[in-house]
Amino acid sequence: MINKNLAFLIILVINVVFIPIDSYASDESLIDTSALTLSSISNQQVEEHPMPDIFMVIPFITLLLMIATGPLFYHKFWEKHYPKIAILLGLITVGYYLIVLHDTHTPLHTLDEYISFIALLGSLFVASGGILIKIDRKSTPMLNSVLFLFGAVIANIIGTTGASMLLIRPFLKLNKDRIKPYHIIFFIFIVSNIGGALTPIGDPPLFLGFLKGVEFFWVIGHVWYIWLPTVITIISIFYFIDSRNMPDAASEIKYSNKIEFKGIRSVFFLAIIIVSVFIDPAVIDWVPSFDPLPIGIREIIMLSIIFIAYKSAPPEILAANEFDFEPIKEVAYLFVGIFATMMPALQIIANESNIYGQSLTPGIFYWATGSLSAFLDNAPTYLNFLSAAMGKFNFDINIPDQVLQFELAHPIYLSAVSVAAVFFGAMTYIGNGPNFMVKSISERAGIRMPSFFGFLFKYAVPVLLPIFTLVWLVFYFGKV
Amino acid sequence: MKSLDEILQNNITGMYYGNRVLLPFHFTALKIVIEKDIITDFSIREKGAYVNEHPDFTEIYFIDYPVLEANISKYENIKMIIVEKGKDIFDFSTHRKIAIRPEGNHILSIKEIDENTIFIE
Repeated sequence: MINKNLAFLIILVINVVFIPIDSYASDESLIDTSALTLSSISNQQVEEHPMPDIFMVIPFITLLLMIATGPLFYHKFWEKHYPKIAILLGLITVGYYLIVLHDTHTPLHTLDEYISFIALLGSLFVASGGILIKIDRKSTPMLNSVLFLFGAVIANIIGTTGASMLLIRPFLKLNKDRIKPYHIIFFIFIVSNIGGALTPIGDPPLFLGFLKGVEFFWVIGHVWYIWLPTVITIISIFYFIDSRNMPDAASEIKYSNKIEFKGIRSVFFLAIIIVSVFIDPAVIDWVPSFDPLPIGIREIIMLSIIFIAYKSAPPEILAANEFDFEPIKEVAYLFVGIFATMMPALQIIANESNIYGQSLTPGIFYWATGSLSAFLDNAPTYLNFLSAAMGKFNFDINIPDQVLQFELAHPIYLSAVSVAAVFFGAMTYIGNGPNFMVKSISERAGIRMPSFFGFLFKYAVPVLLPIFTLVWLVFYFGKV
Repeated sequence: MKSLDEILQNNITGMYYGNRVLLPFHFTALKIVIEKDIITDFSIREKGAYVNEHPDFTEIYFIDYPVLEANISKYENIKMIIVEKGKDIFDFSTHRKIAIRPEGNHILSIKEIDENTIFIE
């Protein structure tokens, strides 16, 4: 079954990489001038292509609905066939772009983003699998809260994915005697998402902003006073809930209060991954670009680390972590479908935001970026809305000097888009890559996690939505 | 009938054929985690895992995993919480956490889950 899925995946990649070469020459002559748009997902290259038909969002909605309902209502079928379904729906969308729209740039750029995404996620997953942290202390609401705060801070140094992969196993072990799904869900809220809102390393959208010209320390300077109360409020809610979950009777278990750390070699690999994030032609001049190939030096380093880190990790650590490639495989299959099928949705949003950008306030940018980041990839969503916000003031996102002028002249717009793109990734399992992996690791440890809708309506909406509304009221409401 | 302690001390193995697992002692299963499936309902033969208790051994059929070897990767285990026959099932101190894995040639290793492995009851 896996081989068949891999074959599908290879067909998808070949479609995107090779078919365009033949069809590219005819691009210009086939453009339908009645439906033109400036359609680059990242706006890196502004090319004219026909807009996708609105009906082409159907594969994306179908995939989202199946991710939400599959594990609930047709578990067996979903578990067996989800890779084929994700790839098939992705192929439908890619085929539409190549054959009907004769648009090669958008699928190629999406493939580029997907490879970067999976290389980063995969390398962090494998490297962190070679690290064993044992915290032999009694689990208390205070200790959990401190761990969350620590996770939120280091998410800005090693990324939300790195922090999640590094801390989820020790967090599970620490709480093994009294763990409940809400522990994992608050972990996803804080460590896997909201924590990483302070630096471009924290979350991919901010890194794309950095590549476009936003200063490295701009985010921390303009977002910390939103980040801090948000993180503290969520941790306080957790503390309150967790305090009520403490067992009444005094535990007889004796703790040494020691923290044991094994796998220093894997820490070295983690460091290489973090440094390699910056090995990009847009950041360092001498870094070669392999355009139009959808891979760069950074991805080659990360993919190599997957192999080296796995081969060099001590078997006893891998065994203790029950290391298995299945969680990253699941993310790879689902997100290949998500990345491919969301292309039309993102283009339509980009087009609409360009049209209506003039009338949008920071508050509207906040909600629009946020609500879409909860269900779509937050990186392109961030770029589309940043582009629209800059367009409102006649700035071009593709000119770094103008990005700099924009961040100085209209910081509230940049802040609204940045905060929303990162924060709202916590609203669903698919809002951010690490969410799904944390869920998968927890399930393998025997914790029954809530369904897609359970996560959304039982936890994200009641806990996060009021806080995000407060953020909007205090920082963006009524601002122009 | 062998006890679990005897089996663990003497490294006695179980057997597997396809999706059928045979463990050389009599127990009641409370929870099984295979891959990310958490099985606690053993009442239906068509879903999850079907457990068949015999005086000297216990067999489990993993309904959704026709070939166990293909599903359990190098560092993975099938994790179980069980209570040996004759012990008080309502006393949590009798609940034992064991990990089993197919080692090839129908040999199934049986180990007690140590503190390093995360397995939540």
